Amino acid sequence: MSSVERPIGSTDREVETELFKRLPDDAEARGRLVEMFLPLAEYLARRFDRRGEPLEDLVQVACVGLLNAIDRFDVERDVQFSTYAAVTIIGELKRHFRDKGWAIRVPRRLQEVGLRVNAVLPELSQELGRSPTVEEIAARCEASPEEILDAMEAVQAYSTTSLDSPVGEEGAAPIEGLGGDDPSLEILEGWASVAPAVKELPERGRRVLYLRFFRGLTQSEIAKEVGVSQMHVSRILSQTLSFLRGAVLEEGDPLREAEPHGADLDEP
Amino acid sequence: MASPMNDVITVSVPAMSGSVHVLRAVTTSVAARLPIPFDGIEDLRLAVDEACGWLLARGRSATAMTLRLRPLDDRLEAEVSIDAADGPWPPPDLEQSLPWRILSALVDTLSLNTDEGGPSILLTKRTLEPSRTT
Repeated sequence: MSSVERPIGSTDREVETELFKRLPDDAEARGRLVEMFLPLAEYLARRFDRRGEPLEDLVQVACVGLLNAIDRFDVERDVQFSTYAAVTIIGELKRHFRDKGWAIRVPRRLQEVGLRVNAVLPELSQELGRSPTVEEIAARCEASPEEILDAMEAVQAYSTTSLDSPVGEEGAAPIEGLGGDDPSLEILEGWASVAPAVKELPERGRRVLYLRFFRGLTQSEIAKEVGVSQMHVSRILSQTLSFLRGAVLEEGDPLREAEPHGADLDEP
Repeated sequence: MASPMNDVITVSVPAMSGSVHVLRAVTTSVAARLPIPFDGIEDLRLAVDEACGWLLARGRSATAMTLRLRPLDDRLEAEVSIDAADGPWPPPDLEQSLPWRILSALVDTLSLNTDEGGPSILLTKRTLEPSRTT
């Protein structure tokens, strides 16, 4: 059993097979398999790093994937275990990011601060007659400005809410006068060039865009009108603008082919 | 406002869309320490995002993208630049173009510099008057 020390990818298949044959009753064999493929799990977990999740948590998720892979693997199949395990582990990691909304992935303290910020923002705006500064928000929330910033950042980074989210979520107001043929889009030449893309936007994104850039409302005003938090408005706006950049690129002029970093938004 | 915040903060990143988040984060962090309302910070962050995207799209041979933040008594200046321009600068019909419209809606003043070193976009956001802050 000396070859269990070998690095991933060059694992002796016979050892592997032998260990699998001792399953499911042999706990030691299972442990050895886990040990052998732990580096694979860690490697894959690291590839999902930078998404705001502590690496240890990701490694845990990857290990769950590895255990599932070990339990489900069928030695008779003509597949290397490492291949099968990688697919299972990646699946587990992806599912982790997809299913568990921010409620699970954001540290509790940040969630609490985030919730308080959302509650305090409209309150303070009303009292001050303008949008509050971060210091003012911090004072009201009894948190440090750093925590407020972290919470803002977390809302931006962690949220699984995408442009595809149903419009009704968070009690969004029904869309009025913002159909795909809204003439106001054609009024401004600059926007007319992206009108087709604008029509593809989910209704809420279009509505926020319209309120911000056509009606000139501030983000707090939009938040009130649409019925979502201000941080959510900010997120919708940034997603919408980057969607438009990408959409213009796709049908853009042939001299500028698809490139990862953005689109030329000029008139053709 | 005599504070260390009056110093200019300069951050350079590789000219790639993947670096934009760094500039966004630095912008937020600096803006949040000034008397700029929350709305304004969010708008400035969006504007930096948009300016970076615009410059990158028209400057494919650029290698570096730089953000310069300069807190002044009554405003925060944020200047985004890249070290090469491929598309013509200024673009034709500058003021009719979508990025320009978006940027003008997000910041208080907006100007474009097209030096030979590469284009730069200067954005400013006003701070609250001292008497208006708590």
